[in-house]
Amino acid sequence: MATVLKQVLAWMPFFFGIGFIAPLIAQLMVLWDIPAPFGISRIAFGLIIGGTWGLVANIRGRWL
Amino acid sequence: MSEQDLLAPAAVTTLAPAEDRAALPLGKDGLDRYTRRDLRKEEIAIARQFHGGRMWPYAVAAFSCFAVWLSFFPLAIMGVLNLPLAFVLSCIFCVGGYVTSHEAMHSNIGRPGTKYRWLNEAVGAVSTIPIVFPFSMARLMHLEHHYHTNHPEKDPDYTDEAPNMWLAWYKTWYNRQPGVDGSIHHYKRILAEMGTPEARRALVETMILQLIFMGTLFTMAWTGYAIEAALIWWLPRHIGLSYIRFFLSWAPHHPREGKMGRYENTYVFKSRVGHVLSMGMQYHLVHHLYPGIPNHRTKEAYYALKPILKARGVDVSPL
Repeated sequence: MATVLKQVLAWMPFFFGIGFIAPLIAQLMVLWDIPAPFGISRIAFGLIIGGTWGLVANIRGRWL
Repeated sequence: MSEQDLLAPAAVTTLAPAEDRAALPLGKDGLDRYTRRDLRKEEIAIARQFHGGRMWPYAVAAFSCFAVWLSFFPLAIMGVLNLPLAFVLSCIFCVGGYVTSHEAMHSNIGRPGTKYRWLNEAVGAVSTIPIVFPFSMARLMHLEHHYHTNHPEKDPDYTDEAPNMWLAWYKTWYNRQPGVDGSIHHYKRILAEMGTPEARRALVETMILQLIFMGTLFTMAWTGYAIEAALIWWLPRHIGLSYIRFFLSWAPHHPREGKMGRYENTYVFKSRVGHVLSMGMQYHLVHHLYPGIPNHRTKEAYYALKPILKARGVDVSPL
């Protein structure tokens, strides 16, 4: 159990990217009336940005 | 030997000290041990007057702020929350929570074995939830900081050191990055190395609290309340942690290098934002000398102790 939780926490930046940043981006785009590019939905756009950003943060160890 | 030889200056100089010296050996503070002992006695007598006092306001503040902060979540979901106001208040609760928990860390609300011990532990437990920092970890690490203030390896807060104010603010954020051995990551590593039952408990509680934090953010975000979650918990936590680390760790201890003595490991400084907004940290030296003096009395205690601190070589010129 502890090992599983440690693995979850180790991948937390990626999970944070898709679990929080993605819907946050989508909802901010709705709030500010910004359409997603290339005809994709706002949440799909959020998932691409959030997922990629989280994965990069996981690998690099830095969000910026 | 002639009379002239006996009166020669060389014979006299061998009996007198080579240079002008004090009769008693002096420490690097320029004081002999008797003076140091008398000053210490006087210091303890003064400090004793400022221990204790009314601590219930800390408990009231901790529980009421926590209750108000918790209420933000259902109110936000019901759409009846003023989000900008809730954001500002959440930031204040995150910072203020550390102040109340800090008193609990030093058992100033209820000593072990007294009837208010449960209150001490309860105040500590609720106060640091908004910053996702379990009390068990906060207390262990803070006490380590007191035992080993400014020690490069043993002081858990040493990673906050930075050459200037701007880099110190940057470092409060940098140390929270996932791959950096600073802040909570540094604490987790130290706890794992300690390996005591208390340290293991603190690690488990940290993991649970982090999972609750993430679970709450993810659930709110995917049910349409990402902005609310960001403004009530995520951003205030980051702002609060940076503020806490700057004012409670960097400002009173900078520069840290080689400053580990009782009267040199913490500085008296003049804060640009004043006494309240710097959470009384201008007088943090008093807290390090006497952690039993509650935060709201350190200012008064400092001015009472000031002549002694000055005699001990503390730079009291800022205040």
